[in-house]
Amino acid sequence: MSTAFNPADVQGNILHGYHKPRVRYLMLEVTEPIAARRWLAASLSGSDGVPRITTEQPWETKPDTCFNIGLTYQGLRALGAPASSLASFPTEFIEGMSKRALKLGDAGASAPENWEKPFDEPARIHIVASIYADEVAQLDSLQRAAVNVKWGVRLLDPARDGWCFNGDYVHFNYTDNISQPKFKEIHGTDNYPDWDSQPMAPLGTVLLGHPTNFEGLKWRVPQPEALGHNGSFNAFRVLEQDVVGFEEYLTMAANDLLKNPKGNEVLPPGDEAKIGAGLSRRDALREVIAAAMCGRWRNGVPLALSPDMPNPSPEMSRTNFDYDANSRCPYGAHIRRCNPRGAQIVQRVANHSRRLVRRGMPYGPAYVYDPAKPRDPNEPKRGLLGNFIGANLGAQFEAMSCDWLNLGLQDPRVTGSNDPLLGANDPVTSWFDLPLKSGKTIRLRGLPRFVTTKGGAYTFLPSISAIKYLGSLT
Amino acid sequence: MDGASNAASDKGLFGRLGDQLDRFVGWLATTRLFKCIAAKILVPYWAWRTPVKPQEGGPRPSLQPGDNVQRMMNLVMPLKDKSAVGRALAALAIAQNKDEIYAGLDNVGTVHFARFVIVDDNICMFSVYDGDFTNYIRDFIVTIGSVFDAVVGLVEGGDSVIPSAEHVDQFIDWVHDHDLYQVSDVATDILRDQEAVNGDAGPGHDDLRKLPRDLILQLNVNRNVSLGSGYRAYPGYSAAQVRRQFGVGW
Repeated sequence: MSTAFNPADVQGNILHGYHKPRVRYLMLEVTEPIAARRWLAASLSGSDGVPRITTEQPWETKPDTCFNIGLTYQGLRALGAPASSLASFPTEFIEGMSKRALKLGDAGASAPENWEKPFDEPARIHIVASIYADEVAQLDSLQRAAVNVKWGVRLLDPARDGWCFNGDYVHFNYTDNISQPKFKEIHGTDNYPDWDSQPMAPLGTVLLGHPTNFEGLKWRVPQPEALGHNGSFNAFRVLEQDVVGFEEYLTMAANDLLKNPKGNEVLPPGDEAKIGAGLSRRDALREVIAAAMCGRWRNGVPLALSPDMPNPSPEMSRTNFDYDANSRCPYGAHIRRCNPRGAQIVQRVANHSRRLVRRGMPYGPAYVYDPAKPRDPNEPKRGLLGNFIGANLGAQFEAMSCDWLNLGLQDPRVTGSNDPLLGANDPVTSWFDLPLKSGKTIRLRGLPRFVTTKGGAYTFLPSISAIKYLGSLT
Repeated sequence: MDGASNAASDKGLFGRLGDQLDRFVGWLATTRLFKCIAAKILVPYWAWRTPVKPQEGGPRPSLQPGDNVQRMMNLVMPLKDKSAVGRALAALAIAQNKDEIYAGLDNVGTVHFARFVIVDDNICMFSVYDGDFTNYIRDFIVTIGSVFDAVVGLVEGGDSVIPSAEHVDQFIDWVHDHDLYQVSDVATDILRDQEAVNGDAGPGHDDLRKLPRDLILQLNVNRNVSLGSGYRAYPGYSAAQVRRQFGVGW
């Protein structure tokens, strides 16, 4: 099959974000395969009231709503994909996210046994449909159109809603969605290296059947080609964030630094105003610690470019940087662990190879930290509905999760520690090293698990040809 | 007088007879006749009555950092040509590509040791690596897959997964299938493993008297196993941490 890029064959939520403020995920079970295949076929044209699948085809006017689907292995089976075709999918997808729990750090409170409905019955989740819109009313109306007993699909309650409560800000109060793999077919190459130092990603980073990051190496394309080509894989995750615990930890760590004689090296006395106007020393230290844990100040400015202040003048790029030997971004900072860019790493062939397209939206109300207010036992649930998209779940999402996010194999200076923000941390053993200008470090301890997995699924994001193929199976 | 004989004398005639019978049955099991019956009839009968799935190869999954460094791979790959000529071909395939294979392992970055050994008609690769198995094998293919293909081509079933660069997922699964099951170091974990692989999880199955039988049945379907996960002189350190400490570059 041709490796030329055909945007009309690719679902629209893979290479682009829609920048819609609201999303709803519907976990669907196929109850009648024949009707469900007709539903799939109808979704291509938007006929019979079924919402139309949004493709990558450039639009002249932005649609009011977008609609996309992902299929689990059980879903492909339920829809009647032939056995030879099912066997051509990769092992991790066949097993499904809940079986890969230990690789993903999903243990303890994050273990699949403790997942919320409907993720507590992973075999029943066949389709994860997503609706993107401006208003809740639009989500409701598309949901009514999409899920109907006559279409042989049943909604597994509850649906999951995400919304942007403040632009690109997410819980823990960081700006997100800054750096994504860039594709020449989508983003063009004009002045490219000036705005991002990372090499452009080949299409095969996310689309099956295209050249990958490894020269000469190809991921297996599920068969037949019509089903596999231009498809992609997605790790859909419901990640609950302990916003109160996170802010409390920053306070605790800042208090420790206030007592630590080396604390003055982290933030020279008198420099508090550089962190933020009118901040107390403790609050300034809290921001310094938050920035070190993420690798970016909360406004998104990278420590690699601006290690001492979040608002450098002149303004600095948020994407055009790398980690050289003198970088002041901590080795263990979240963004550096998950994507070490061109930094020296142990797995010498792996630089740039585990990149993922990330599409996420927060859920739950915005949170404003008030140190005077004790933790409310009825604090609403908050978190992120995340999609981690790549052509090979094992080589990208899982490889990043098990050796880099947790364990920290990529750099001997972080090996044995987990990601400070997302890691499977236990306060008894966890640690995170704050680098000092002198080259020494201060070790922060006692980090609890701030992010708990509440559900998720590995899905295959079929191409338009694949939806046509599945819709026409008999 | 010790407690045991005291107890025996308290048992009365039937109790003493029972002890004699136990001793007799215990002696029976060591006789040649009984061993022959066990191997030829009893074990096949058990295996038929209680089908046991072969355990997966490789170390047990764990979240503990200490368990995820210095993991053992015991790859046993049956040669197609089971003659001295076949074994010589395998020896030659390693010797001809030794430099590339070692340079490749160096670039994978997470490998402590790797050895190639011929045992009977198998070419074996025994190695100690850090982190996830699939990442190790994938990085290995990326680095020197084309060289290693020459070795895999000599192995039964190897043709279906080469060239490895075009069959990455199949190659990883294939290697995993040839990695030996690592029998747990802890007796109760052996039982737990059996329950997990047969799908009857949950408490109530930890009858230690069943242990030999479970182990026998597993070894009946899984002839070659690794006993435990091995000894480590300096547990918990990655290859890169050791290299960094010695200043040999990581």
